[in-house]
Amino acid sequence: MALQEAVELLKKGRAYAQRTKFREAFAYYNKALSLDPKNPEGWYLRASALIETGNNEEALADCDKALALNQNYAEAWSKKGLALFNLERFEEAVLASTRATSLNANDAMAWYIKGVCLDELGKSDEAQEAYGKSLELEIILDMDAERKKIQRLG
Amino acid sequence: MKTEMPLSKPIRRFLSQTEEMLGTEISLLRQPDADPGGTLVDVYTYDIEKNVNVIIFPAQYVGLLKDFIIAKQCTNLLIKGAASKKGKYQVLSYTEDSVYRGMRQIYLDALKDEAKKENRLPVQKLIQMLFILFTHFNDDLNEVPWNAIVNASVYHRMPKIRKTQLYHVMKESKNDMDEMMEQETIIPRRYFVLNKAMFYARDMFLAKTLPADELMPVLNIPQMKKFNHLEVKEMLTTRWTHTAWYQSKVFGDTMLEIVDRHLDRAEWNAEPTLDHYFELYQLGVNLTNHLVSYMTMKDWFVWEEPRRLIAAHKEKEEYEKVALKKIFGDLLGDS
Repeated sequence: MALQEAVELLKKGRAYAQRTKFREAFAYYNKALSLDPKNPEGWYLRASALIETGNNEEALADCDKALALNQNYAEAWSKKGLALFNLERFEEAVLASTRATSLNANDAMAWYIKGVCLDELGKSDEAQEAYGKSLELEIILDMDAERKKIQRLG
Repeated sequence: MKTEMPLSKPIRRFLSQTEEMLGTEISLLRQPDADPGGTLVDVYTYDIEKNVNVIIFPAQYVGLLKDFIIAKQCTNLLIKGAASKKGKYQVLSYTEDSVYRGMRQIYLDALKDEAKKENRLPVQKLIQMLFILFTHFNDDLNEVPWNAIVNASVYHRMPKIRKTQLYHVMKESKNDMDEMMEQETIIPRRYFVLNKAMFYARDMFLAKTLPADELMPVLNIPQMKKFNHLEVKEMLTTRWTHTAWYQSKVFGDTMLEIVDRHLDRAEWNAEPTLDHYFELYQLGVNLTNHLVSYMTMKDWFVWEEPRRLIAAHKEKEEYEKVALKKIFGDLLGDS
């Protein structure tokens, strides 16, 4: 029962976060995590909101909690990469993003973070490769979105 | 710079340089329904209390697609800011009188077209079309010449995002080509052709400016595969020859000559100072004037401060009403 309630709370929190109402989102996430601290999604969602609000150290800690519960959680690796990039820990960010892309090769953001960090580390050729992959995915997503929009408009 | 989102190194540097050169701040905003080409809300155009410009882009653009929009809008901002700092920033606006002149001309041209048609346009529709078409040209003339300049500038300044630029240019070209297509049978032929010709000239200029060998994507995108081994110029030309309005090309070629004549003077790789961006502004103004003149719309528009254009937009219903009254006199009811 508590587990189901936690899932519902996460949904609500996510809805608030999507509208950039982070204070409300945190309230729901915190409650959900107190009911079910073993759900990696809760830690991941709170990490995402923490990054959006500039709290990268706390976000990193939440990503690690999510990953301790599920080592193959691609989205959490991706967010970890982003938090590390924001903290200017570029080498670790490359490792996290690489892990994210190996678990989910279609994560445009992870490829982009990898590219940006490699660029920061002066590895320009490798960076271009990662940027290329990120752009490829973004364009495919954009073209799909465009097609759906046209279909919607009839 | 106010942002929590990751940005590539050249873009971060360009943002900081822009802020520093203009003594202003730039904020980045993701919005799910933002214009695909991004939007710039700048202090030189709008009355913004704080000295903060906002670049808005679609929320789904997380990587280089967003970076290109930022580069493009920063260049836009630099051009506007440089002109504004010299007290010279103006846009193509309209007045009550100029609206009348423009609408009257469109009406006369429409009458000529209508006389040849089997299925004539209902009078009410024809009347509605006059002002819509007038403002359409105002919008396009405030956009198209600058789009060519900004794209060329970004191409020379930001080599690392050229592949992204190619995608944006192709997408924009496609959207612009589709513009007005639904109104094809309503709009007087001359204006349909001129509108298409303007975009054609922009596309051809960009096709020459963005060399294919550097731009051809090494990307493995199925949807882009058909363009493999084609040059950018071919990609864009092929599209134009397939439109029903091939004659746009004839006018477009002349417009391209005008664009070339003006923009060939630009020193795209000059040191990026405010003076350089002011020169780009002047090129844009001269190019716009020449295009306006070629399209015989000289007395339709006036150069004014941006706030005057905003004020004109607010008055547009009144301007339209007055112009219609002058054109049709008492034939037009109060409705």
